[in-house]
Parts: sequence; C-alpha cells; structure tokens
Amino acid sequence: MAETSILWLRVAAVLYSLGLLHAILTLIRKRQYLFRIALGAFSLAAVLHGVSVVDQGIITGHFPANNVFESLSLCALLITLLFLFLYRRYKLESLSVFIFPLVFVMTLMASLANPVSEWPSAAVRDTLLKVHVVLVLLGYAALLLTAVAAIVYLIQERELKRKKPHQFYYRLPPLGTLDDLISKAMAFGFVLITLAIVTGSIWAFVEWKRAWIAEPKILISVVTWLIYMAMVFFRVIAGWRGRKAAVMAVAALCCSAITWAAHTQLRTLLKP
Amino acid sequence: MKLLVTGVSHKTTPVEVRECLAVPDADLPAAVKQLASSPGVNEALILSTCNRVEIMVDVDDETDPEQVTAEFLRRASAVSPESLEPYVYRHYNKEAIHHVFRVASSLDSMIIGEPQILGQLKHAYAVAREQGGLCGPLENVLARSFMVAKRVRSETGIGQMAVSVSFAAVELARKIFGSLSGKTVMIVGAGKMSELAARHLRRSGASRVLVTNRTHERAIEVARTFEGTPVEYSRFISVLPEADILIASSGAPHYLVRKEDMQRVIAARRNRPMFLIDIAVPRNIEPAVNDLDNVFLYDIDDLQEVVNANLRERIKEADHAEEIVVHEVERMLARLKVQEVAPTIAGLQEQLEQLRRVELDKARRRMGPLSPQQEEVLEALTRGIVNKIAHGPITELRRQAGKPEGVHVIDAIRRVFRLEQ
Repeated sequence: MAETSILWLRVAAVLYSLGLLHAILTLIRKRQYLFRIALGAFSLAAVLHGVSVVDQGIITGHFPANNVFESLSLCALLITLLFLFLYRRYKLESLSVFIFPLVFVMTLMASLANPVSEWPSAAVRDTLLKVHVVLVLLGYAALLLTAVAAIVYLIQERELKRKKPHQFYYRLPPLGTLDDLISKAMAFGFVLITLAIVTGSIWAFVEWKRAWIAEPKILISVVTWLIYMAMVFFRVIAGWRGRKAAVMAVAALCCSAITWAAHTQLRTLLKP
Repeated sequence: MKLLVTGVSHKTTPVEVRECLAVPDADLPAAVKQLASSPGVNEALILSTCNRVEIMVDVDDETDPEQVTAEFLRRASAVSPESLEPYVYRHYNKEAIHHVFRVASSLDSMIIGEPQILGQLKHAYAVAREQGGLCGPLENVLARSFMVAKRVRSETGIGQMAVSVSFAAVELARKIFGSLSGKTVMIVGAGKMSELAARHLRRSGASRVLVTNRTHERAIEVARTFEGTPVEYSRFISVLPEADILIASSGAPHYLVRKEDMQRVIAARRNRPMFLIDIAVPRNIEPAVNDLDNVFLYDIDDLQEVVNANLRERIKEADHAEEIVVHEVERMLARLKVQEVAPTIAGLQEQLEQLRRVELDKARRRMGPLSPQQEEVLEALTRGIVNKIAHGPITELRRQAGKPEGVHVIDAIRRVFRLEQ
C-alpha cells in the first residue's frame, strides 16, 4: 500500500484505539465510560480513514480492494460509516461495545501491510511473543470458566423448571450468582483475547513481513475471536441466557481448543 | 447423680392429655421451685411447650426419682400419674442426656429442624436457674445441649430448607436471583398468603413492592403496609416488565397473564429471568408460561411439592445429626465422670499438701537458718514424696469414676486418707 495512505490509516487506528478502551472499561465495569470522547475520536478517525482509502485508490489507480489489506481497510470503513449512521438514527449506544473493537482490530491489521525493518532486538521479539501467549492463556482460562458456569446454569435452570427439587437443586449455586460469574468471566476473557489478537498480529507482521496475513494460524485465531465477540454481543444486546448461552460458550471453547492446537508449535519460534 | 427425664410428647400422647399437663408460663417458676425443693431432689427443670411436657430431675443416691416425679404430678396436675402411664416415656442417665440433646437439636420435633424448641428449652433453663433448680450435672447437661444444638445446626442442613409454602417461595426466589436486593415484587390481588410471601421477600432484601387490585382503594391500602406503590389494575401488564417477582392471588375466574403477554414482557426485560408465583385458585397465570425461557412459574401445588422435597431432605440430614448427638453424649458422660471424682482428688491433694507443710515447718525449726540452696533441696524432696504417694490413688480414682463398683473404691480411698465427707 502507498506510504501516505498507510500513515493516515495508522493515525486512524490510534484514534480507534480509544474506542477499544471504552469497550474494555464498559464491559468490565458494567457502566458506560468515555463514550463521548470515544465517539468523537471515532468520527475523526472515520474521516482520516476515508482519506486513506481515497488516497490509496488515487495512487494505485484502482478501486482500493486489491488485496487483503485494502479490502480489510475498506470493510472497516464501511462498518464505521454504518455505525455512525445507525447511531445518528437510533442512538444505538450499546452497539459501540462491539463495533469499536472490531473496527480497531480490522484497521490495525490493514495498516500492517508494509513491512518495517527488523526487530530492534531479539529480547523485544521474544517478550512480545510471551506477552501474547500469557494473554491468550488467561483468556482461555476465562472462557473455560464461562463455559463451565454456563453448563451449571443450564442444569440449575432445568431443575427449577422441572419443579421437583433433586440433589442438584440443593447443591448448585443460584442462577443469579452464576449469571454474574458468566458475565464477568466472559468480559475479562473477551478483553484478554482482544489484546492477544492485537499483540499477536503485530508480532506476526514484524516477523513474517507482508506474508503474515496469509498464515492459517492467524485466520483461525481471528475466527475464534469473532465467535467470542458474537457471544458477548448476544449476551449484552439480547440477554442470551441458559441454553443458547451455554451452546455459544461451548462452541467458543471448542474453537479456541482448535486455535490452541494450531499454535502448539509456537515454542520453536522462540530464540534458543 | 441420678438423672431422670419423664415426659409426654406429640409422638406418644394426644393433645387432650398434653393440655392437662401443660404448665402455663406464669405458673412455671412456682412449679419448678416446688419440684426442686422436694426432699432428695438436687436439681429440677420443667419444659412445657405445645408439643411436649417434660420433667427433668437430678436426685441423690438414696431417692427414687420416679417416685419424686409421681408425687409432684399428683399434687400439681389434674391427671393422676397412673392414668398417664401408657403415654409417658422415661429416660435415665445416659438415655436422659441423649434425649435432652435430641430435643435441643430439634431432632424430636414434629417438624424436624424447627428452631423454636431451642428457645423454649433455653427459657425453661433460665426459669429453673432463677429458682435455684440448677447447680450440678443437670445444668451441665443442659448448657452442653445448647452447644450441641448449635453444632448440629451449623454442621448439617437440618434447618436450612424451607418447610412452609411462603418461605419456599422466598427460597426459590433466592435460587433464581441469588441476592434479592434491588429486586421488585409485584402483588396482583391481595390475600393473606400473598401478603405473607411479599413480607418475607421484603425482609430478605427486595427493595420495591408494586401492588395492584381490582378495587384500587384496596391496592393503595396494601401498598401502604409495604411502603409500596399502587398500580392501576387496567395497566398492570404494561408495568409487569419492571417486576422480577410476581405474586398472583386474585379471585379472577380466568387467566390474568397469558403466554403472549409474558412473551412480550420477557422480551421487554431483555431475557432477564422472572419468577411468577400463582397462589390463586382458579389459577391467574396460564401454565404454558412456564415453557418460555427465563420464566419460572410455580403454582400452589408446585410450592407444596418443594416443601415436601425439603422435608425429605431434612430427614436425610437428620441421620447425620443423630451421629453428632451420639458422639456428644459420649463426650458429656466422660466429662461428668471426671467431674464426679474431681472433689475427692482435690481434697486428697490438699490433705497431703497440708501434711507436707506442717512436717516441713517442724523440721525447719529444729535445723535453724538454712541457705537458699538447702531450702530448695528440702522443698523438692518433700514435694517429690507427696506426689509419689498421691499418684496411685489419683490414678485409681480416675479409673474407677463412673464404674458401678467404683463407688466402693472411691469410698475406701476417702476413708484411708481421712477425707471429710
């Protein structure tokens, strides 16, 4: 991609990151934080993003969707514009919790098109990879907790619906408590996995140059992240509980197991 | 020590007989005083509740406790002891302790695990103490029984599950919501039972009560008692999404809440769970509502079913409680045995110590001034001799405590060492 276009895109990504911060705070503290500031930054970023896309189109002389990076950037821009439109029309503030991180991650990935120079040192390279691994593992732990709590919720719910108390009714915790646990574990997990995706993409970009986006590992991780995001989305927006939530949590857990299996060779990437 | 518990309870005796024996609260102190002052009686306690009347006495060795109790009954109550014979149970010593522990722990109650009996026993204990009726082993047994009851309550689930319909509703609400604080309760139609359930819910933390009734004045009246908000009857369905718990008990002959209504309500609540309690007959809420996700509908029969299951669970827990009681009885007996010989042991030690002092003083006068070192040697020598002499009899006393033939051995030791009676 053209240097100027990338520059605009990077500035836009920095502004979008405020949106990510807003989403993290809102999910964890269960209250809207920084929405005004994040929305302002988001709108400004959308303008810069537009400039970047147009710039890229003019310089290359094509419709700017020639490769993965360009189409990612374009797609993120369209989502941004759609959200801004919906927000003006319907005041759908709660959507921001998903749109902001999604747009940020997509823009970040798109801006990682042009290879940079080598790692400053081997230590930086290894540290970033280790941070990524720790974030992923913590995220998976939170996801596992979410799935277990969701299944326990399912059992207790069935017990309450059947109206004939058995062992489980007396031994398992109340639905409200489980619900709270699921919400918290899921929010933390989502934040951790999102940060892991960010660190992982940056690492892969510097390591593998332009080819990083074609790695199947990356694709699988992104799919897992999207499923995780869908789960958080349906819970916060539609209040999915019980059976649906349990199915989602187990699906996300299975996906992350596959992702983990795809990454088992990661150890060999560390410098001895 | 001779302990005897004589009693009648809901298990053995019809209420017609129990009511004749019951001691009114006002007469209790006088009755205990009379019993305690009977010849040969060391300690006495009377427990009188609607489910049981029990007379506990601790008499000295020469007195027959059965006779004392019969004598007391002949004078104090309207029924003759002979006519009571088929109903009465008697427990001696170890059995008596076991019985008292079981009663205190609510294992002998009509509803196992109900907490009132402990309070009643504590009251009887306080009255008996005030009247000077408790000063020995019986007092120890009772004091211990309170601890046993506490242990049973905390180590088993015997008192945990609700055994009344209104408490079962609260318990279910807790199972659904976890904490009830910040939850809103809505009452449709006012009745005794719904008000009772609402009151329990309010006490358990529910923060807001909405009341609706066909006659709005009645709704305002009920709302006032709960510091709640009256809602107009015609629009209560539109307010329903605000309620987490709905208690329906109106006299309406048809369903007030239908499945379609609830579908909209639960969508408006964004699937936050809702607990519906229908205690009206005929029912106010369409039963198919329970098929909806995140809606939990219980009618009066369902609540009764929960109560029955809870009772079965309590009985299961009671087995564990019985084990605790048996174990505690053994500990109590061991403690009482040691207490029995404790005065003899103390007397023996005192006697020997006195002898040692007198002899030591005599020797000192004859020897004149001694260096501190010499003093120390003398002290250690005499103490050593006394301890060696005392060791045999003390061990024997402890060993014989509580044994049937032990009385003679203890007696012999007392005589040998010239211990005052």
